[in-house]
Amino acid sequence: MKQNIKKLGILIIGLLSILVLYLSYLNVIRGAALTANPYNRRFQEYEAQVRRGTISDINGIVLARNDNSGEVNKRVYPKGHETAHLLGYVSERYGRAGLESVCDRYLLGMEGADRVRNFINKLLGREQLGGDVTLTIDAYLQGMAMDLLDDRRGAVVILDPRTGAVRVMASNPSYDPNKLDDLWPQLVSDGASPLINRATQGAYPPGSTFKIITAAGALAAKPDIAGKTFNCPGFLDVNGYRLNDTAVHGNVDLVEAIAVSCNTTFAQLGLDQGAQNFIRTVKAFGIEKDPGIGIPVRPGTTASVNMMIPTELASSAIGQGEVLVSPLHMALAAAAVAQRGEIMSPYLIETVKDSMGEVLYQGTGKHWLSATTPEFSGIIKDGMVGAVRFGTATAAAVPGYQVAGKTGSAQNPHGQTHAWFIGFAPADQPRLAVAVIMENAGSGGSVAAPAAGRLLSAALNRGY
Amino acid sequence: MSSGGQCIAPHSNVRGLAGGRRIERNLLSLAALYTLAGMMALYLSMPTARSLQAVFAGLATAAAFLLVHFYWKTSGYKGDRILLPITAVFASTGMVFLFRLNPSYGMRQFIWILIGLGILVLTSRLLVDFRFLSDYKYIYALVGLIFLILPIFFGKEQGGAKSWLDFGLFQFQPSEFVKILVVLFLASFLSENRAVLTAGTRTLGGISLPGPQEWVPLVVMWGISLLILVFQRDLGTALIYFGTFLAMVYVATARIFYVLFGMGLFMAGASASYYLFEHVRERVVIWLNPWPFIDNIGYQITQSLFAIGSGGFLGTGLGQGYPDYIPLVHSDFIFSAICEEMGLLGGAGIIVLFMIFVFRGIKIALNARDEFAALAASGLTALFGLQAFIIIAGVTKMLPLTGVTLPFISYGGSSLVANFILLGLLLNISHEADDSI
Repeated sequence: MKQNIKKLGILIIGLLSILVLYLSYLNVIRGAALTANPYNRRFQEYEAQVRRGTISDINGIVLARNDNSGEVNKRVYPKGHETAHLLGYVSERYGRAGLESVCDRYLLGMEGADRVRNFINKLLGREQLGGDVTLTIDAYLQGMAMDLLDDRRGAVVILDPRTGAVRVMASNPSYDPNKLDDLWPQLVSDGASPLINRATQGAYPPGSTFKIITAAGALAAKPDIAGKTFNCPGFLDVNGYRLNDTAVHGNVDLVEAIAVSCNTTFAQLGLDQGAQNFIRTVKAFGIEKDPGIGIPVRPGTTASVNMMIPTELASSAIGQGEVLVSPLHMALAAAAVAQRGEIMSPYLIETVKDSMGEVLYQGTGKHWLSATTPEFSGIIKDGMVGAVRFGTATAAAVPGYQVAGKTGSAQNPHGQTHAWFIGFAPADQPRLAVAVIMENAGSGGSVAAPAAGRLLSAALNRGY
Repeated sequence: MSSGGQCIAPHSNVRGLAGGRRIERNLLSLAALYTLAGMMALYLSMPTARSLQAVFAGLATAAAFLLVHFYWKTSGYKGDRILLPITAVFASTGMVFLFRLNPSYGMRQFIWILIGLGILVLTSRLLVDFRFLSDYKYIYALVGLIFLILPIFFGKEQGGAKSWLDFGLFQFQPSEFVKILVVLFLASFLSENRAVLTAGTRTLGGISLPGPQEWVPLVVMWGISLLILVFQRDLGTALIYFGTFLAMVYVATARIFYVLFGMGLFMAGASASYYLFEHVRERVVIWLNPWPFIDNIGYQITQSLFAIGSGGFLGTGLGQGYPDYIPLVHSDFIFSAICEEMGLLGGAGIIVLFMIFVFRGIKIALNARDEFAALAASGLTALFGLQAFIIIAGVTKMLPLTGVTLPFISYGGSSLVANFILLGLLLNISHEADDSI
């Protein structure tokens, strides 16, 4: 009978050990999902007791703060629609989005020393404080970008090619986040999709701005084309289809072809380098990657290598066909040319401080991708400088500084062409890279380039 | 190595005038510190007169446990030295959490703990010669049956189970006490008929079976208790009765055939009730996937999972979590509250203490002087361990949820007092074994 008793004991203790294992599974593996489940009210409860930290721009201008004057903690966004996509929102009813969501744990004082401090504050019945976030964004430039977009749909991205710090990330149409709860039903049904952050989630044909990538690919495939001359009769026949150019450009070299945005030359360069080389270059520029800035980004897309029949390859080479990219990705492509072929990881958060001002996180420049070589980027830069000097992008010129740029007028199924401009300034020592798109606004040279010029001018005058 | 181990004699083995209860005193002192730490944490987070009460209740509970220890020490009682400190930790964990969840429950629990300790002392005094209990097995069977039947006619439904008798001032759940009677009945019956049950008197298809006079009373006893419980809708208690029954039959006969046969019967019964009873079907459905029913029938279990999952490794800290979201958190779901506020470490710690309790119980059964005592000790231990297992597995959704209390921790006087009696009986068995050396 003693044996039986022992076996019984082993059975019961075994059952209890399984419980310990199962409990560990629940806690360690399922814990995060259970904590984040929207039906779990714990997070909201915690939130209601904490004074959420502020979000400010690089110069300390407050972009989001808590208004404690009323009964409930109300979140106030002084810049309203200008920063709506970037900052997102915190709504009891509609969840959270944007940087408010990304920085949640910092803003609620759940990181670093604030964790302990707030635990003690709670025990002592004192107010619990969240940390503060400073962005790389310049609110003045952000507002100016929104003004320039005016009532047009579109987006602007400006970043520092040397570090990846984003100065402007504007998207229009926008909404007033201070009235989110009232506006919501209207926002979700609006055909203009005001909730979409076009700067990062827009999927636009890049048009001629994509030629800088085609050029980089062509140079990588055949470096000797740098000195070659191309003849543009005003059209190109590809497998029986005729691709019409905007003009008869005659004999041009690569630099001139970029400056005057010659479709014939670039369609041919696309065909010459082959689909695999083209796609490899697109990947090298990070077009199909999410650079990981916290808020959602739609990675760009192209036709796959085996679907790249000659007509598709020729159109993709001039940024049409099935190529779809976001303004952020095009700004990064411009930054690659500016920064001798290297792309820095873009980032939005400059510093995070806890409630006592202790720095918890510091944004720094981190290398992301090597898009092309310094030599090739130099050639492309010459073309972009040419575009502003005498080519399609003269309207982007800024007095006293040399701007490099590339325009685009992307055909699309929704009417007039999308007006694009990408570029950087000053050309010799670039500190700013820019991408501007205005949907169905006409040609890049006449609409997007002047807007970009004014933004670059303002930014350079502000010391960036 | 082994000879070195023998040199260090554990305090519990030191026998002298003091009865060698030093380890019990030391462990109880630790448990007292634990209780006070919990109550102080409650008081500091909410310094009110109400929470000051909690501190006094903690002090009084710690003192009462130590008092029991001193009484045993002076009276030369030789029961196990580890079980009382474990019980003290269980009881004070429960009481701390009840004060934290609802101070009026905490206060009532405090009084019940004191009553329970009184009954423990009475058990260790009056039933110290527990052997006479084996003579009256048919009386328990009868008393048990009456107690189980009463709530069907006069009972009050609570949490879906109609197993309570309402006495105005307090409510009384007979099934908690009948459990112990069942164990004593089975221990007595099985020790008497062990030989016949093991060997059998006839064979049927190669399997030897005992005659009807040996097994009929068993099956009838078991069947009736089970049926009544199904009518009271108290599935968890039915499961515990059943598990204990099988465990004791196995211990007595070592015949796995009985266990398999019993489990087969149980499966058949479970499937039948799945088709017959809506409330059983519901339990199974929300066990398989509660998430689609999060707003209605799956609410309780999903809230319990949220609490457990949100606790992290160390928990939110006492009073810092939100276990109040779980309906009935003070009784069946108290373990989820412990997991939220004391974390994985606290929850696992409680389970480990249950393991140690079971380990000591099995040890008592192994050292018992005769078969009746050994069977009773294993039955009581199985009863206790299975109950803890079933409710913890239920609130973590490892098994379908069946509402039973977590021994010594959940709110409830009947459960507390019954478990103190169970503890007393186990201690008496170990006292007798120790005495005979």
